[in-house]
Amino acid sequence: MKKIFIATLLAAFLSPAFAVTSMKATVNGMVCAFCAQGIEKRISKMPATKAVYVDLKKKTVVVEPKEGMVLDQKAILEEVKDAGYDVVKVESVSKSVAELKAELAGDK
Amino acid sequence: MKLWLVFTVSLFVSLTAKAAPMGFKDSWMTMGDFSKTFREQTVNYALTPRDAIGITSVYMQTNNYSQSQLNNELTYTRLVKRWNMPEAQANIWFFGGVGETTGNYFSGTKATVSPGVQADYETTRLYVSANARIYVADGITNNVVSARAGFSFYEANYDETQPWLIVEARRMSMVSTQYEVTPMLRLIHNRFFVEAGANLHGQPRLSFMYVY
Repeated sequence: MKKIFIATLLAAFLSPAFAVTSMKATVNGMVCAFCAQGIEKRISKMPATKAVYVDLKKKTVVVEPKEGMVLDQKAILEEVKDAGYDVVKVESVSKSVAELKAELAGDK
Repeated sequence: MKLWLVFTVSLFVSLTAKAAPMGFKDSWMTMGDFSKTFREQTVNYALTPRDAIGITSVYMQTNNYSQSQLNNELTYTRLVKRWNMPEAQANIWFFGGVGETTGNYFSGTKATVSPGVQADYETTRLYVSANARIYVADGITNNVVSARAGFSFYEANYDETQPWLIVEARRMSMVSTQYEVTPMLRLIHNRFFVEAGANLHGQPRLSFMYVY
């Protein structure tokens, strides 16, 4: 029982769930870097934002929070909408922007 | 009434354009378009995601320099409708300008208005647009209509420079009854947008947009 408890505790600390949780949004209409820059500029200014990544090919926006902070998902979606785009899907992923950037680049 | 008739007709006759003529909310955009017969400089500020106000200066002249006109206006840009699709975006824009005009083929300074519309459709590889604008003052009516189509040499990502080949057909009533055809190389890199080319008569053309 003691071993199971320790193993569970270790698993909890080592699991990806304990890593950073980024927000990944699929966005319709995002076809041009010149037009989509408003997304990056405005979300970057939000207090909890550590990094933003825009992927035009995958129509994806990824936002990573600063350590110990939680992203305001509603506000982020509002910023994307204010930038002129439509969010069609939102996911929480236990990866950093750098990891997702590499992953998305690998899918191309 | 007559002005609206001319305006409405011009909308259906033409159709051409630029990329998004305003930036994101709370951003400034500066634009320039320079050629022998048409020079335009604009600065606008996006009050909302769909509305921008600004100032613009438009200088038009004939090829033989016999007629020229300068319009200085306060402008309003409105994103009337946007369609966001998984692989494309389409827009309808309205432009309005109010100001004054001077020229060498009429006397004094006249009040002027310049309504216009633009429709565009864009994917990461294709671009088409149509634009019509009419410059009206007492006894003077000039319209500029244009259409653009082009393609990107390759699909670029957000932080990469993307080159496009764009061909524009433009007719400026003050300059000629003929359409001026201009192939241009367009480069987009983040907040920079530049087009350079020359019309079929060899006259150079440069335009740019920058958002900050």
